[in-house]
Amino acid sequence: MAIENMPSKETMRSAERAAARAERAPRRPRALGAVGGFAEARRKYPGALVVVEGIDGSGKSTQLYLLKRWLEIGGYRTHFTEWNSSPLVKSTTKRGKQRRLLTPTTFSLLHAADFADRCERQILPLLHGGYLVLADRYVYTAFARDVARGCSSVWLRNLYRFAPVPDITFYFRAPLDVAVDRIIAGRPRLKYYEAGMDLNLSLDRAESFRMFQARIQEQYDTMVETDNFIVMDGTLAVNRLQKQMRELVHERVDLTRFEPKRNEETPA
Amino acid sequence: MKRAAAHHAGREVQKRARKSTGGPGTDGAAAASALAARFHGIPLPGIKNEELGGSLIVVEGTDGSGRSTQISLLTEWLESEGFAVQTMGLRRSFLVAKDIDLLLEENAITRMTLTLMYATDFFDQLEHRILPALRSDFIVLADRYLYTLIARAAVRGIERGYLHGLYAMALRPDLTFWLDVSPEVAFEREFRKSHAISYWESGRDMSLSNDLFQSFIRYQTKVRKEFRGFSARHSFLEINGEATVPAVNKQLRKRIAAHLGIPRTRYTPSAALAHLWH
Repeated sequence: MAIENMPSKETMRSAERAAARAERAPRRPRALGAVGGFAEARRKYPGALVVVEGIDGSGKSTQLYLLKRWLEIGGYRTHFTEWNSSPLVKSTTKRGKQRRLLTPTTFSLLHAADFADRCERQILPLLHGGYLVLADRYVYTAFARDVARGCSSVWLRNLYRFAPVPDITFYFRAPLDVAVDRIIAGRPRLKYYEAGMDLNLSLDRAESFRMFQARIQEQYDTMVETDNFIVMDGTLAVNRLQKQMRELVHERVDLTRFEPKRNEETPA
Repeated sequence: MKRAAAHHAGREVQKRARKSTGGPGTDGAAAASALAARFHGIPLPGIKNEELGGSLIVVEGTDGSGRSTQISLLTEWLESEGFAVQTMGLRRSFLVAKDIDLLLEENAITRMTLTLMYATDFFDQLEHRILPALRSDFIVLADRYLYTLIARAAVRGIERGYLHGLYAMALRPDLTFWLDVSPEVAFEREFRKSHAISYWESGRDMSLSNDLFQSFIRYQTKVRKEFRGFSARHSFLEINGEATVPAVNKQLRKRIAAHLGIPRTRYTPSAALAHLWH
């Protein structure tokens, strides 16, 4: 684990960066929806939220893992959360998927319920408690995937209005062939909903998966401007990409806020 | 034969009326906006207007308003008149009903998650029960509808605009009855029926009062206020739920008969349901 990119105190406190931060801060959007947001989504909290998005196989999870390791090794107060991981609705989602009971609407609502649970019990308390929260996929996954399934984007934007707006959203973009090959090579069998089989795009799972991912990527592309995505080139070498990511986090988030307290510091 | 003709005539009138109103803010009868008008603003993905026949009739009201009794009686009456009936209610979906029951038993659930689980339950029933029934020309009787769900969430502090947006793809009922009863009467009836008051129906999660009676009254008063707000906006047909079962039933039958083109509204329950009729 290379830690040569650990920020030094000097660079962190440089006047330039502080000025850049001050300039950026007021422009930071605080509500996801077009019609204002929930009190929670707008409220100021001491924590920060860093999100990675992108289609399957774009390399986002690897990069977020490395970012997490970098922060953990540095002793920062950080927490990692994943899309679709709450035990509360896991059994329902599983049953719905196994028996293919889900429509675009109920698929979307179940994921929203799952996210609401994580948001209210984990993400928001941690943000209020001053943690740097790392999210592997966020509401933009729902915006991209559910619109690709035929849901109304107006409805979806409203549905997730309670979600806090990320401080940084990294969008990992890789050519479709590269991303799809990475997934198909590593998985013996694509699952029904994962491959978008419910959309009747193709009877061949691999082909359906490819077409579904293309639709999702198209949706992500439309959000680059509107949702301030930072586009990351998923074809770059892993360590180069990670270097860029660490620099960007360092530049845009005041990491001093998440440093270990003196008495908690672990011996080097 | 005559009855069937009258029934169809009644429906034709409705269909025409639906066309001429065309939904909010439309002058040209564009198919898309006509379809949106059948829903609360946004049509569900993959639905065509032409395929929806039948009628959706909603009966709203708190526990103790006599709602379920009236639904049973109406089902029997409509079936005796030759109509096929399908019912729906809250927490009855195949997909999530059991999960919601489990979540309610635990105290771990937060209000947003519960709101969204109820929405999942609602849309699962809409897509897998109501729409197929309407396509087959059934009369759907809904024992509560999204109005209860919005009212419950709104009194718990979730933005009303958010909630209406959430249910924008819900089918608009043909008729919505509201059996209005005072919280005191509802309490008395519920207590007499089950000798206990439900945790959720008394809003105990909201810390309104340690006294169960007070908590129930305050909670139901808040919910009733939400219903008053919906009443004009969603053209509710208000019925005094404190009247006797036959009197309430007569009013319901009269309005439904007019809607469906049923010429006569005489009805006495069968032996199986006679116990409800007093």
